[in-house]
Amino acid sequence: MKKSQKIEDFGKNPEQPLTEVKLEDLPPLPPPYDKLEEQPTWKEIPEEKKKDMACNLDGFVGLSLPKPASAEEEKELVDKFVSGLQKLLTKENNWGFLQPLSLTLEYCAKCQTCNDSCPVYTESGKNDVYRPTYRAEIWRRLVYKYAKKSHPLMTKFKHGDIDLNWTTISRLYELAYRCTMCRRCAQACPMGVDNALVTHELRKMFSQELGWAPSELHEKGTVQQLKVGSSTGMSPLVVKDNMEFVDEDFSELSGLDANSKWDVEGADVLMLHNAGEIMAWPENPAAFAIIMNAAGVNWTLSSESPGYDGVNYGLFYDDFQLARIALKHAATAKKLKVKKVLMGECGHQHKAMMTISDRILIGDMNVRKESCIPFLEEIVFSGKIKLDPSKNDFPVTLHDPCNITRNLGIIEPQRRILRHICPQFREMTPHGVENYCCGGGSGFAIMSGNNFADWRISLSGRKKFRQIINAFQDKPGPETKKYVCAPCSNCKGQIRDILEYYDAKEKSNLIYGGLVELIVNAMVDIKEPFIKWDE
Amino acid sequence: MPGSLLMIILYLAVAVFVVGLIKRGLKIAKLPIHLRWELSPVPHEKGKASYGGSYLEEFEWWTKPREKSLLNEFWYMFLEIIFLKGVWENNRRMWYFSFPFHFGGLYLVVVAVALFKLSAFIGFTGTNTSAIASLAIGVSVIAYGLGAFGVIGLCIQRLTDPVLKPFTTPSHIINLVFLGSIYVSGLAAIFSISNYAAQMTGFIQGMVTFSPPALPGIMGLHVILASAFLIYLPFTYMMHFVAKYFTYHEIRWNDTPMPGNDKMEKEVGELLSQSPTWSAPHLKADGKKTWVDIATEEMDK
Repeated sequence: MKKSQKIEDFGKNPEQPLTEVKLEDLPPLPPPYDKLEEQPTWKEIPEEKKKDMACNLDGFVGLSLPKPASAEEEKELVDKFVSGLQKLLTKENNWGFLQPLSLTLEYCAKCQTCNDSCPVYTESGKNDVYRPTYRAEIWRRLVYKYAKKSHPLMTKFKHGDIDLNWTTISRLYELAYRCTMCRRCAQACPMGVDNALVTHELRKMFSQELGWAPSELHEKGTVQQLKVGSSTGMSPLVVKDNMEFVDEDFSELSGLDANSKWDVEGADVLMLHNAGEIMAWPENPAAFAIIMNAAGVNWTLSSESPGYDGVNYGLFYDDFQLARIALKHAATAKKLKVKKVLMGECGHQHKAMMTISDRILIGDMNVRKESCIPFLEEIVFSGKIKLDPSKNDFPVTLHDPCNITRNLGIIEPQRRILRHICPQFREMTPHGVENYCCGGGSGFAIMSGNNFADWRISLSGRKKFRQIINAFQDKPGPETKKYVCAPCSNCKGQIRDILEYYDAKEKSNLIYGGLVELIVNAMVDIKEPFIKWDE
Repeated sequence: MPGSLLMIILYLAVAVFVVGLIKRGLKIAKLPIHLRWELSPVPHEKGKASYGGSYLEEFEWWTKPREKSLLNEFWYMFLEIIFLKGVWENNRRMWYFSFPFHFGGLYLVVVAVALFKLSAFIGFTGTNTSAIASLAIGVSVIAYGLGAFGVIGLCIQRLTDPVLKPFTTPSHIINLVFLGSIYVSGLAAIFSISNYAAQMTGFIQGMVTFSPPALPGIMGLHVILASAFLIYLPFTYMMHFVAKYFTYHEIRWNDTPMPGNDKMEKEVGELLSQSPTWSAPHLKADGKKTWVDIATEEMDK
């Protein structure tokens, strides 16, 4: 039997990883991916690097946190950490999450009912450190012992003990980035406690108090978006330029009007894409343009910074960065006087704009926001575009992005579309509101520093890959083309990395893409197939 | 044991419990409105709850009437509270002890107390209530038996299961042992006192007329333990039955959009005018700038 991980040990043995993860401990994947010797090996962190940065959790490093240079610096960090814990529990600093967080702090029964719902925990071979309760328990003990300062004996009796030092802080920081915040654990909790929220709040505390956040989310993410206009680095000029190429290429390829419209005042729809689509999957914005032009929608894109990039990584780690971007998005819509803002195929954008920022935007700043999924359903079933489902006569499965399904409850419209246009559509198990995260949620899909990509793909993405393979059990070989429909940019990025990592295009003839690509591929008037299998 | 002493203890315990219950509820209710953090399935979504759908599935959802089903919410909570549906589905091993503990040791105990009270109140009219009192005894035996079984099982699980053990604190065990002592003393009293039902009914009547009769030692001990637990309860996480209303109705299922909700907008406006003190350099929250100031200022180029 595996030795269980004691909570009290979290701040001990500073130079040693708290736990070790081995490839052979992970549950085997279905064939032909079940041979350990054929799987890529994990990158080791060089000893040189370990001298300067924290590498003390599980052998993986996503954050490159430098070690403190002196005892004074360590003390300063500990003090700041404690003040951060306290601020999380005050109205003026954290009103937006104070009620759910306080309830999660005080009412967890420590029953472990949520554990098996977590794909990271189960696919790690049930490593204690990845339990949804483990991270939350560390936080609870720290709050009661150091932030609330109850009597030490009472604290120990009621909540248990823990040490607070640099090791505790650095491990907890890294551990805050071992959960995709998919909230399956919250769904399973009979008490209504939300241990994924603890991840969110810890990340926030590290960012808002200590100034610590992954560079992919902060410097290259929200900061760049606020300065330049997009986390991709595209300025307004560059995005228009790039889209011009996209418009031209796809109009020519499809024989249909793929031209974008810019800054149309009073348009019915302001289309807001994740700008990463324009760089990585230009067929996605092109497909949207084709559908909307063919359906006669009065739509527009915005060229105002950052109104052309729906990304809002603040959702994953910092409430203020989230609010700053949300306000700018709202201001763009208001300025253009559009009737509604349409979320592109991007899950976290859906959540950031449609629910989280709903209670930030006051008065006429709160422009109507709609998911592209019911919007597309309306077009597909309106008869405005002619579709031939036989063009999509290959096996298709659907990945449910957590932010669209579990967090927003948009489950059926995408299925009604797929059942209508894809004769061989099949579900993953489980799916819909019980879906599993792709493993790239909460910003992971864009994080690949050090050896984090190995962890992200082979561990947090393992459940999704297993589900994909199992969905095509009847036609596993490369002789059958298969399509994973993932209507979310971050999920697509993660699924792309998973398929490449396991060489799944070669072995299973698996490709991935969005929902709009399937709709355009089924359009009667299209010149040649929109979905390409050999690229 | 002197009846008047037991009466004072019991009334004090009930008062502490009621005050504690109200304070807990108010403390949570007074917390500020939170950002939307709903989680599907939301059972009040009429016609969509069965698969976890929401009103956001509708094309231009703001033009459609919101169709809510309070009955669905009630049914969801009924299954959750009475049968511990979530534990059954996600933690079957624990359910085998947690369900008897909750169903017997809590709900049936409440039913038994209610039956004894009914017997006592009807007894004031001179009606023979021995049938109700006998039923109360029967329910009490089942309740205490199930409660004791659940407590023993949960204690063993908490102390031996490698999944639960690292998270078990002394308070978990003390809480269970405390409850167990109530069940065991109750069973001992019922089986050792031949006229337990009559004594209990008489004691409750005496509580009303402020002249309770003395109780046999074991029965008095049972009353004292139950009273002590009522006093202890508000200071523990076992008050989760209060929290559960908020975690479900106010958080998971709170999907009310803000546009058009003037009261909510006003409250949010006031919250946004507070001054946070976060220290990170990209925020420069000096305790003077408000949330709005920080969110609308340009970041350093």
